[in-house]
Amino acid sequence: MAACSSSAPEKSDSAAAGEPKTGGTAVYLEQQTYTNLYPPAAGFYPNGGIVNNITDRLVYQDPETLEFEPWIATEWEVNDTATEYTFTIRDGVTFSDGSKLDADAVAKNFDLYGKGNTDKALTISEAINNYDHSEVVDPTTVKFFFSKPSPGFLQATSTINSGLLSPKTLDLDLEGFGAGNGTDIIGSGPFTITDEKIGTELTLTARDDYDWAPPSAEHQGRAYVDAVQFIVTPEDSVRVGSLIAGQADIVRAVEAQDEKQVEDAGLTVYAPQTNGVNNALNLRFGNKLLSDIKVRQALIAGIDREEVINTIYTKNYPLATSTLSKTAKGYVDESATLTYDPTKAEALLDEAGWKVGSDGIREKDGTKLTLVVNEAAPQPRSFEALTLISQQLAKIGVDLQILKADAGTYAKAILDQDQVQIYHSMVGRADLDVIKSQYYSANRNVLQNLNSNTGEIADPQLETLLEAVASEPDPAKRLENDKAVQDYLAEQAYVIPLFEEPQVYSAANWVQGLGFESVARPTFYNVWLDK
Amino acid sequence: MGYIARRLGQAIIVLFIAFTGAFLLLQALPGDALLIKFENPELGLSQEQIAAVRETYGANIPLPVQFWHTFTGFLSGDFGYSVQSGTAVRVLLAEVLPATLLLAGVGFVVAVFVAVSIAFLSTFTRFAWIRGVLRSLPSLFVSVPVFWLGIILIQVFSFRLGLIPVINPSPVQALILPVLTLAVPISAPLAQILTRSIDDISTQPFIAVVTAKGASRSWVLFRNVAKNALLPTLTIAGILFGELIAGAVVTETVFGRAGLGRLTEQAVANQDTPVLMAVVLVAALVFVIVNLIVDLLYPVLDPRLKRKVGANA
Repeated sequence: MAACSSSAPEKSDSAAAGEPKTGGTAVYLEQQTYTNLYPPAAGFYPNGGIVNNITDRLVYQDPETLEFEPWIATEWEVNDTATEYTFTIRDGVTFSDGSKLDADAVAKNFDLYGKGNTDKALTISEAINNYDHSEVVDPTTVKFFFSKPSPGFLQATSTINSGLLSPKTLDLDLEGFGAGNGTDIIGSGPFTITDEKIGTELTLTARDDYDWAPPSAEHQGRAYVDAVQFIVTPEDSVRVGSLIAGQADIVRAVEAQDEKQVEDAGLTVYAPQTNGVNNALNLRFGNKLLSDIKVRQALIAGIDREEVINTIYTKNYPLATSTLSKTAKGYVDESATLTYDPTKAEALLDEAGWKVGSDGIREKDGTKLTLVVNEAAPQPRSFEALTLISQQLAKIGVDLQILKADAGTYAKAILDQDQVQIYHSMVGRADLDVIKSQYYSANRNVLQNLNSNTGEIADPQLETLLEAVASEPDPAKRLENDKAVQDYLAEQAYVIPLFEEPQVYSAANWVQGLGFESVARPTFYNVWLDK
Repeated sequence: MGYIARRLGQAIIVLFIAFTGAFLLLQALPGDALLIKFENPELGLSQEQIAAVRETYGANIPLPVQFWHTFTGFLSGDFGYSVQSGTAVRVLLAEVLPATLLLAGVGFVVAVFVAVSIAFLSTFTRFAWIRGVLRSLPSLFVSVPVFWLGIILIQVFSFRLGLIPVINPSPVQALILPVLTLAVPISAPLAQILTRSIDDISTQPFIAVVTAKGASRSWVLFRNVAKNALLPTLTIAGILFGELIAGAVVTETVFGRAGLGRLTEQAVANQDTPVLMAVVLVAALVFVIVNLIVDLLYPVLDPRLKRKVGANA
């Protein structure tokens, strides 16, 4: 098999062939039904695919360069300590129910996303840190205040988790944002939800009077297609088959093993990167089996990551070289610490006192070196990858078990480092804060640095380094802090990065202009059908 | 009348037991829907935030109070809200139930038609080899996995031959392949039982008498054999209705149809208790009704049963 790790992901916006045509309905096949359209809950891809197209954001983040550009905010100002943000709001923007998108509306959006509303079971947005309050200066000026520096806030205003909704929509509770109420969710975006069949279908219709795309965009005015029809098609083979048979225009979640079939049929595969923390195995060092750095280093040296990628995935899944993806901001190359060397792995385990027992599994003081890793169901081919990794580790005397359980047992087990010592996961967000989201005790805490059972912090230094990323107002210093975290995670052998995770889509050849936001949710604004 | 009243009473007891059993079992499972939804690391919520959400949902209310609340809610037709999506369970059910009932109903009718055709033809046909082929069909049908059959039908009739679209089909087109998928495995046990009963009854003395009186083959089959062979088949048909619902889960997923099966599958995956409670109750209700109808049909088909019932009442 060819070395695939260096090939770049597909460009997200294909160069349009000829003049865009207006009209037609694009049929888009989703793998799962959406659950909720509350923007802070839009991390789930089926939710995000909808929210991204019905809402605008204050700031536009270019998915290629990750730079910030004006959108609904024509300009903005941040104070030196990153505790005050002032936005100037574009004039004349309306939500699809006719209400105005003015400073009041923006303030109401962020008061909800920044503070949540527990009475309505609406949670705080993961992307917004240290939010305090808003202040409407005049109809086109709004200020936000933070209790502590919040340097990630500007990026947060560009994510789909901060999609701007009409003031009336913001009065809904969690139930109101749930399935079946799609047509009540009102944004100012290029599309509006006009029809819904719970669990199976949803229709987005282009807004004729839409006229506030990011000023930098080539395409202004209304979307080209009249409508996008979302159809939930859970079965992989039916999704891919329908596309090849010409019954659908665009599909999401093309499995690695199906990519060849799609390419053989002459169709385009899109694999936009998610620009965040790579798909990785996180070693929970608070557990006594993994508290010795030599054991953790041995696991890294004992896993042939290239074999995993060449066997289970495709060229669209580049080999990871750090905790962060190459295309993410602040990326540092840590590949020197990630070399495959089974001889070294065995030597390290010997040094650490783990001797091979009669059954080939290493033991120390009567304890076997048996580790449990969770199957990450939302991640592509997690079980297959872990199975291969467990075979590789068996060769150096490590017994790796894969946790497959019902949802309740699973949800409890992954919060306990004595049940799950290795946590398989990833997270996409195009901001330096993403690394904090993944590892900080009050966020995802995937290393269980904060022990959920005892409330103790195992490694205070990691906490300090992560806090520094999220609270440093100076951009250059913040970049340094982000690098420091990556270096530290690599030095301590806390993480085994596997690959840079894409979202894989495919589209018929007549589909032009399909684009993706910075974490690979589809953008239909520029799509037109050349048929 | 007494018979019907007693059967109705039994039906209500069955429903209550199903409700209580489902409630207790779902409570006994490790974790709950709130844990699965809000403690999911993907949301990145802190422990205090999760505690506040649990408070909002009333997760700390004592079990008997929760039971009473849910039970009285069900009595008044309020099934609560799905924890996963926040949608009212009543709305979800109203949306999916007609689709599943249509699929299951038409699937059942087709299955009965296929089963009866196989059974009658395999008895009626004079050529031994055709009888042999027909008689081996049920064992073939019963061993076909539903999801496999569904995918093969789609591949052949939709993708290769382009006869029936899977995406945006007309209402009739949307039924053809799923109904076939569902009917094939259901028809198999029906055909087997029916063939077997026809064989048994054909060897009984009264058939020999009727034949000796000069009745034609078809007269004997339809007037004498079929009527008597229906009873055991009907019993099986009642039980098979449960399997029909199970088959619908797979069929609906493969074909991307809305339905009770899809809803159940997602609710199980997320341990979405309110949805599961409602599904259990609906399934139990349908099962009870179908079997009630079967029981009430017995005396109509066999006058001897009518006399016995009368004696008991």
